[in-house]
Amino acid sequence: MMGSKELVFRALTCKTTDRIPWVPFVGCHAAKLLGVNADEYFYSEKHIVDGAVKAYEMYQPDGLPVLFDLQLEAEALGCRLRYAKDNIPSVATHPLESGKALRDLKLPTRKSGRLGVVMDAAKELVRLLGDKIALYGVVTGPFTLALHLMGTDIFYAMLDDPERVSALIHFCVSACKRVAAMYMEAGIKIIAIADPMTSQISSDDFVRLVSPGLVDIFAFLREHRRFSALFVCGDAKRNMEAMCACQPDNISIDENIPLDYAARICHPNGVSVGGNINLTRSMMFGTVEDNIRDAQKCIDLAGSTGFILSPGCDMPFDVPPENVRAITSLVRGNVVDFLEQVKLEEESVYKVPNYAEEERVIIDVMTLDSETSTMCQYIMEVVYEACRGLEHKVRCVEHKKAAKEAEIYQKALHTSVIPSICIDGELVYESVIPSAEDLRAEILRAIFKKQG
Amino acid sequence: MSIYEDISALLQKGKAKDVAALVGQALEEGLPAKDILEKGLLEGMNVVGQKFKDGQAFVPEVLIAARAMNKGTEVLKPALVSAGVEACGKVVIGTVKGDLHDIGKNLVRMMMEGKGFEVIDLGVDVAPETFVNGAIENDAQIICCSALLTTTMTEMKSVVDAAEAAGLRDKVTIMIGGAPVTQEFCDSIGADIYTSDAASAADAAYAVVAG
Repeated sequence: MMGSKELVFRALTCKTTDRIPWVPFVGCHAAKLLGVNADEYFYSEKHIVDGAVKAYEMYQPDGLPVLFDLQLEAEALGCRLRYAKDNIPSVATHPLESGKALRDLKLPTRKSGRLGVVMDAAKELVRLLGDKIALYGVVTGPFTLALHLMGTDIFYAMLDDPERVSALIHFCVSACKRVAAMYMEAGIKIIAIADPMTSQISSDDFVRLVSPGLVDIFAFLREHRRFSALFVCGDAKRNMEAMCACQPDNISIDENIPLDYAARICHPNGVSVGGNINLTRSMMFGTVEDNIRDAQKCIDLAGSTGFILSPGCDMPFDVPPENVRAITSLVRGNVVDFLEQVKLEEESVYKVPNYAEEERVIIDVMTLDSETSTMCQYIMEVVYEACRGLEHKVRCVEHKKAAKEAEIYQKALHTSVIPSICIDGELVYESVIPSAEDLRAEILRAIFKKQG
Repeated sequence: MSIYEDISALLQKGKAKDVAALVGQALEEGLPAKDILEKGLLEGMNVVGQKFKDGQAFVPEVLIAARAMNKGTEVLKPALVSAGVEACGKVVIGTVKGDLHDIGKNLVRMMMEGKGFEVIDLGVDVAPETFVNGAIENDAQIICCSALLTTTMTEMKSVVDAAEAAGLRDKVTIMIGGAPVTQEFCDSIGADIYTSDAASAADAAYAVVAG
């Protein structure tokens, strides 16, 4: 039985694995797990360490990034960031756009920005988790960093002043290597160069401007016996061959590139692939079943050789933890147990009340969704109208079909029809919308009954 | 090749100075401002837009083409005004509250200008009320919201709600887009149109005003 680290290392180097290694890209989502704001998390060595440990305990991953913050180097080089409570920070100013020249920029050191904090966290995580899972040091790639430093002007400069752009990217390559070296010194074995903005330029520009720097960075990592990965976002299909030619061990993609396509290009070049669970549709807004399906689809498309299952990019703060645990259950082969457990948890959370013991009469209304369905909006209006003046004796609860508790209530109240209205656990109207007067009469009857 | 085709071809290559000069020459030759705009400048942007949609042109190519169009439009503007040529529609655009990402929003703005729209750019980190007030003040037919982050995209619902509250919902079309946005999300928040790229956004906006 292969251990987590071995699984990741074998997959990275295009070998077959006993099971698919799973690396959830937990960045600012760790702050949610800890119950702290994202801005506090990004500044604190303790939070970064505790967040990764918490993610390790909750998600049983085979690998984790120390931090996923593509603004870290930008801040260290003089960009001003705007922090958010439930989000990654955003770059607010670009030094080369606001008067500074490239020669004014200094390569980052441990004292620049939050780099010292992050590297101390990396060192501590190597101590705590380094023998258990594969830890990634995520470094902002040269093109994305150059864009942070110059702003959108870089796109014009690519035509107007290509030498200026080349010089800037050359500087960014040096900055990447510096930060990678810091991670290596902390004991990190895998360095991921995240360069999402390269999906916004042509293959010619990629080869001309970005490839030489990436070749240099990946050679540097090989020289230091580290594994390497290149992370991209967006539709970068056209650049896949060129990215392989930069010789990373792995290329990780988001849902804009099909995994089978990526594997077809990468594997013959000896490059493994990673990805690409949909962050929005599945992880953020999907159900546990959606996530299991999506992850299974990724595995089916990519196969068991040279593949690491991961989200398409950094996981948003608010991803529901059960969605991540759902993917873990698939990878670990215990989906059935997991779904059963989730059901039990939901039943305990959404427990149908013992109506006789409740102080007020409870009206359960089964709807599609009163915000989107006109019919359901109308039925809720009728219910509220019928309850007018009785608010201290009555409580109305709408159960939208898509909501988690709806199924539990439907089962308990013996109705699967929408719309339906139950009063104190008794099904009173099914598939009909009563008049407010009739409904009010039923409600009053229930109130009298409760009052004995 | 006609002078219109020359203008279009130079615009596609992003040759801003040459486009401006050729527009000036076309005016001197007495060609109608409307034709110079539509057959030269807008036609050029149409080609760039189509290439962008087809994955043959990318952000830099669109930006430099749009810059060339703006240079041409500057020269053409007085003639357009005196000929009474009006924009095909008005759009207010911005990146939603809490989000500072502007590349996608700028691309949509440029593509829409390239379709002949007057676009009022509200910038980034735009509050829902600012979108709505912008639409009212400018008598815009379309509000465009952009977001790059999964957490900020939920602000788009606030824009829909604010438009509703202002009694504007039936009068404006709300378009949304950005990397994490999907058609399902658009449906769920009650926005009108989702498009996956800037060129498609401009096409969809044009379809709205063309009726």
